[in-house]
Amino acid sequence: MSPPFPMLTVLSMFYYIYLRRRRARTATRGELMNNRRAIESNRPLPINVELVQYAKEVLDFSSHYGSENSMSYTMWNLAGTPNVYPSSGDFTQTAVFRTYGTWWELCPSARLPFTRTPPNFHSQDYVELAFEEPVYPTAVHVLETYHPGSVVKILACSANPYSQNQPADVRWEVLWSEAPTKVNSPQARQFTPCIKQINFPTNLIRLELNSSLLDYYTELDAVVLHGVRERPMLSLNTSMITLNDLDDDEDGEREDGMDCLNKQFSATVFRESTTNGYFDKLPYELIQLILSHLTVPDLCSLSQTCKLFYQHCCDPLQYIHLSLQPYWARINDTALEYLQPRCVLVQWLNLSWTGNRGTISVSAFSRFLKVCGSELLRLELSCGHFLNETCLEVIAEACLNLQELNLSSCDKLPPPAFNHIAKLHNLKRLILYRTKVEQTALLSILNFCSELQHLSLGSCVMMEDYDTVASMMGAKCKKLRTLDLWRCKNITENGIAELASGCPLLEELDLGWCPTLQSSTGCFAKLARKLPNLQKLFLTANRSVCDSDIEELAANCTNLRQLDILGTRMVSPASLRKLLESCKDLSLLDVSFCSQIDNRVVLELNANFPNVFIKKSFTQ
Amino acid sequence: MFSVLSYGRLVARAVLGGLSQTDSRDYSLVTASCGFGKDFRKGILKKGMCYGDDACFVARHRSADVLGVADGVGGWRDYGVDPSQFSGTLMRTCERLVKEGRFVPSNPVGILTASYCELLQNKVPLLGSSTACIVVLDRTSHRLHTANLGDSGFLVVRGGEVVHRSDEQQHYFNTPFQLSIAPPEAEGVVFSDSPDAADSTTFDVQLGDIILTATDGLFDNMPDYMILQELKKLKNSNYESIQQTARSIAEQAHELAYDPNYMSPFAQFACDNGLNVRGGKPDDITVLLSIVAEYTD
Repeated sequence: MSPPFPMLTVLSMFYYIYLRRRRARTATRGELMNNRRAIESNRPLPINVELVQYAKEVLDFSSHYGSENSMSYTMWNLAGTPNVYPSSGDFTQTAVFRTYGTWWELCPSARLPFTRTPPNFHSQDYVELAFEEPVYPTAVHVLETYHPGSVVKILACSANPYSQNQPADVRWEVLWSEAPTKVNSPQARQFTPCIKQINFPTNLIRLELNSSLLDYYTELDAVVLHGVRERPMLSLNTSMITLNDLDDDEDGEREDGMDCLNKQFSATVFRESTTNGYFDKLPYELIQLILSHLTVPDLCSLSQTCKLFYQHCCDPLQYIHLSLQPYWARINDTALEYLQPRCVLVQWLNLSWTGNRGTISVSAFSRFLKVCGSELLRLELSCGHFLNETCLEVIAEACLNLQELNLSSCDKLPPPAFNHIAKLHNLKRLILYRTKVEQTALLSILNFCSELQHLSLGSCVMMEDYDTVASMMGAKCKKLRTLDLWRCKNITENGIAELASGCPLLEELDLGWCPTLQSSTGCFAKLARKLPNLQKLFLTANRSVCDSDIEELAANCTNLRQLDILGTRMVSPASLRKLLESCKDLSLLDVSFCSQIDNRVVLELNANFPNVFIKKSFTQ
Repeated sequence: MFSVLSYGRLVARAVLGGLSQTDSRDYSLVTASCGFGKDFRKGILKKGMCYGDDACFVARHRSADVLGVADGVGGWRDYGVDPSQFSGTLMRTCERLVKEGRFVPSNPVGILTASYCELLQNKVPLLGSSTACIVVLDRTSHRLHTANLGDSGFLVVRGGEVVHRSDEQQHYFNTPFQLSIAPPEAEGVVFSDSPDAADSTTFDVQLGDIILTATDGLFDNMPDYMILQELKKLKNSNYESIQQTARSIAEQAHELAYDPNYMSPFAQFACDNGLNVRGGKPDDITVLLSIVAEYTD
């Protein structure tokens, strides 16, 4: 009976000693490594040497103003040394996002926001930058050259994009975060927030932005990462860092570990308390209503407090609308698995920005959708680079009721994957901005999804012939209300004619940067006459827009709220005055780089039509 | 007889080819620039390198040295457009494309095409047109890749002789091929050639080769023998002496341009076309003078 026990004790003692020795050995090895690195860098005190790096490469981003196959106004301009700074103005050499202000939330294509968004989540766009050498960051400088103030969060990643061996768990640490601020001057500035110290070296920095308070597009020129090669060794500092880390780790694991915590709780021999005090007096629905104001992590924390709340917090009715976008850095396979039983009734699911760098696997995503997809009406997957053809196939099979699908900036999704979307016959909204969708796939989608109301095809570079696409829309998509053809390379007056006569309900049309449209063919006049419901019309950078087009708009589209005619030399102040007089609802008018409309005219129009925001950008 | 000659040439070429292959050193271009604006505004005036309506750039990247000149077409002044804006932006964009490595050394036409596309991507509605000439030296292969659209051009001089030169492209007398962005109402009226129409050549260079890239302001006023005479004075390949030679060439061309009795190549050509013209051709002059040297960091 007794012999095994001493044996075990002896064994465990050996094991303990072994562990101690191993730890000691790894420690010395680590020191050796450090020493070697110090010698290599030829610096006596590497701790104090601050490395200053400009971004080497732009790895990923959610949107940009520029074209996919050019440099002007694209996110790729954030790499390298500044091109414009310290000058201010609207320059091609900078990085510009697709939207600003609240204009895109006020137009007919706007989507309803998700409830339960945590109050500290402001991010609308992001860009990820890789630097040459991993450092412990001491400062991050963002050179903003036009309408600054949009950066709301800066994060650092533990994964090195230039290294083969990646850490098992990819960690994202917030270096700085704040609510968006209104900066009154559009002038250039160097933004240097006070950042938190982190306990790992990084060469992958992510900026998250919110342009909602800005008067115009923000333009970023460069990002500078200051840092030291060795971890700052000040004893006080280190201990503080480790404490912080522990906190953060707990925070990070809270969600994943909750499952087993809950199990422990239920397993413990708690004396079954039958009463819940006053909570017993509250109706079930009322408690549910109160809980509906909690964010998802709070809900998960609450479920650990007692059986009653556990029951409430697991109620699938709490997860009808679920946005996991604010927690993109922490959502992984385990989290999805953990949420799965609670999400069987989910109708709106937002997984945008999640799952990158291998955190969500195709199999876990598929398992989740197979269980939770049947009621799904809206699925947001923007920038989901884990998605592949299988995922789209699963969506098409599991989410038969799906009405809204957002795949914007899923630029790694292969073209054949889009064929599966045609099986979703109930689709009302489809966002394919910056994807590789091809003509055949899109034609079959248009053919079978006759309920489509909102379609975004901005910057779809793989499309062969937009005229064919437009004529299919005119023939099949009678319910189309909004259409985004931003930067489509080859639509002509023929496509526009089919579209205008086939989709009379169109309220919003974005034809920005469509260089093949010529006003002399009468295409814009036709649009104005056939689409009296137009509320938003973007004719950005179409050099041929002229006075007669503006007059047609003034005569026919009196509901117009937003108009962008940036960059035409052929519109005069007189026609604009006519437009402003007849379109009483007009609130946004972009006349930047219209050579006949100078600042004096803008001032005068502003004085006469104070309800209209007239935008006039400048380069100098 | 002919076959023997061509055979001999083949052998010579093979030997030379073999030699150049064994030369594993990297080459680079040492380049100096000089120029004059038509109306006596000398030197660097506007943003970047502009002489009157001419513009030029010199840029380098890991694999190649690139330089280019562009001559803005002056007729746009009638539209109230500054012609140097087009040529200047074109060259600055080329420079940026090179610095960011968005080019292939063996495809200089690609640089021109990409740069022209970027001009169309500008929010500012640019107007204008320009000739352009791009010269790329691939450091490791020792090949000179060039693209030329219009009447700017380049010469490669070896041992006091012109061994390679660009072809002039003209629609008719004094109307060169040109890249252009026209206002919608003038579309079809203005000459607008595709960047793909550029004449593209490849040439193997040797150490010490002199490459002179210039706008028509030089070639219209100075015949080859005068240019070669000036180049003979160039003794070594340090930057100062190149700069000096570039300046003396540009100055001489500038003087000749305003000499009413001088029979310039331009006047010669005009006479051939049935126009009775004498004297130089007052024009903007841009000269980029480069020597192929061994690459040093």
